[in-house]
Amino acid sequence: MHQTLLTLAIIGYVAATGLALAYLVQRDELLHRLASLATLAAWVLHTSALVARAFELGRPPLASLPEAVSVAVWVVVLLEMWLERRYGLQVLGAFVLPVALAFSLQSTPMRPLIEPALSGAWVWVHIGLALVGIAAFVFNFAGALMYLLQERQLRAKRPGALYYTLPALATLDRLTYRTLALGFPFLTTGLLLGVIWAGAAWGSVFTFDPLALSSYVAWAVYAATLAGRAAGGWHGRRAAYFAIVGFVALVLTLGAGLLFPGKHGG
Amino acid sequence: MALFVAGLSHRNAPVELREQLAVDDDKVRELLRDVAATGVVREALILSTCNRVEVYAIADVPGEARTATFRQLCRHRGVEPASVETVLYTHADGEAVRHAFRVASSLDSMMIGEPQILGQVKNAFALAQSCETVGPALHTLFTQAFTVAKKVRTETEIARHAVSISFAAVELAKKIFAGLDGKAVLLVGAGKMSELAARHLIEQGAFPLYVANRTWARARELARALAGTAVPFDELATALAAVDIVITSTGAPEPVIRREFVQPLVHNRRGRPLFFIDIAVPRDVENSVNTLDGVYCYDIDDLKQVVDANIRERLREAHRAEALVEREVAKFLARLGDVEVIPTIVSLRERLEIIRSGEVKRTLARLPGATPETREAIEALSAAIVNKILHAPITKLRESSRAGSPRSWLELVHELFGLGRK
Repeated sequence: MHQTLLTLAIIGYVAATGLALAYLVQRDELLHRLASLATLAAWVLHTSALVARAFELGRPPLASLPEAVSVAVWVVVLLEMWLERRYGLQVLGAFVLPVALAFSLQSTPMRPLIEPALSGAWVWVHIGLALVGIAAFVFNFAGALMYLLQERQLRAKRPGALYYTLPALATLDRLTYRTLALGFPFLTTGLLLGVIWAGAAWGSVFTFDPLALSSYVAWAVYAATLAGRAAGGWHGRRAAYFAIVGFVALVLTLGAGLLFPGKHGG
Repeated sequence: MALFVAGLSHRNAPVELREQLAVDDDKVRELLRDVAATGVVREALILSTCNRVEVYAIADVPGEARTATFRQLCRHRGVEPASVETVLYTHADGEAVRHAFRVASSLDSMMIGEPQILGQVKNAFALAQSCETVGPALHTLFTQAFTVAKKVRTETEIARHAVSISFAAVELAKKIFAGLDGKAVLLVGAGKMSELAARHLIEQGAFPLYVANRTWARARELARALAGTAVPFDELATALAAVDIVITSTGAPEPVIRREFVQPLVHNRRGRPLFFIDIAVPRDVENSVNTLDGVYCYDIDDLKQVVDANIRERLREAHRAEALVEREVAKFLARLGDVEVIPTIVSLRERLEIIRSGEVKRTLARLPGATPETREAIEALSAAIVNKILHAPITKLRESSRAGSPRSWLELVHELFGLGRK
């Protein structure tokens, strides 16, 4: 049941991504409306898949990394739909949905759940906070990408389709800054709880776990960007490049967790 | 009785002829009264702008009305009617509706999407109303044309992007800064176009404004006119540090703003962008500043390039607008047509329903043993037969009204079904 719903949801995300990208190029209002519909339909399917999964397991589907990533995608798509309406950012889908789709593909072959050594409420808080952080950084990445594209258009002085559809540079810069400022505390607290809990559960903070190790790298990149922005007056292009590097580190983190299952389960 | 529009426009008539025939409001009133007095038109409206002179009218004999109207116009303006005849176009009925919608929506304008035309059509409508030459037909047509024009403006982007250099500069500034509220502007040198761009920026909330000019008196004068502050020309570098947008248009043979002035500013701006709008030829800003981080420099050719791209955008949107107008024309004609034939359709249905229910009643009276199912079946059967019979004539009536000639069909239906004189 859950697997069928999830597959349908992913098909929906594929359609939504395709339509959103087509809208970016064609700028036909109809394509945007279809993309929004497909997004909503896929998200509803995704919701029911998660609910079905929760019933099957008798607990929230958050105990293993693939499960958590699937919930992160669910949060990202929800935020995408909300932000798009709230700020009239019709092109947002074209930049966020491909990422959401890529993330959701990882959980298609539902691996047998390795019951992780979970105990206590701390773990749920750890996972929940990290999830919100990751969702915020998806938008941070999308904002940075849009910024760099619009900046190139303005510098090349040849207005193309993107010049007309992408928002102003200042708006995009604000979006990347805000998502960074929002995501960072969540990521930090999430990691910190993880470290503390690891110390308690695994006996050592420095137990080898690929996800834990590479997540420190991502954290360091984001910490540097935030410091640069707040104190060094970093803006625009430099901040955008760092946002992209940070996100790559974050994706590698998740990739490491999924491909080389350590203590986070796969 | 038919609707028609006759006229000439920038599409086929040379400007010499258009300016000869263009008339002011008073003349329009006079013409409308003259035309109405001839009795050849029932309703009339005259639209006169520098790009078109058109008469929209309802007349029994459109050809006659058209000739009479333009004779009057030519007589008023002392133009030889023969020279007008060759460029005159006429559209009737559905074509005239389409033309009215397209003109009001600025799809027939020289610059597609220009905003003035709707106001001019509204003015023409008000003039005709004041002369009492607007009747129910033109009233319906033009109020709908205004609605369509508004719809085209909001649902497509034909009027969205700037097609003048100064507005294109403002649009670029918005693409960089998002809002212009509180963005400081420095105007270097004086010129019509740079002054216009500065005014547009101020209208969008840019503030404060500084003016630098080699002639101190001119700087003060311009600063006063734009509610800004004059700064000495030698202190240009200092002024640069305090602003976000710089408009330059001096007559200097060499660039007055060099890369080495701008480079040190970049660090202090902490990433805040700096936008140069260089309208001068030869250019005032060294082009290489465009490569500095957060600095954008557009010269006159760059701005023209943006304008050209914007015009292509408008043309692209015009296709969508045309499709929208087409749908609106169809809807309008369908509504207009149906209004005319609906009473007949209703009485036709009533007539046949009386016959049907009467016959069913009589039949059922002869079948006392009929079960409820049988009764229901008879009801349904008779209703189906009536509907099938009515389908063809009703469709024909609707079609004929859409084609604009329902009169003979209406009479025929009345005769055949004995509906009594309408």
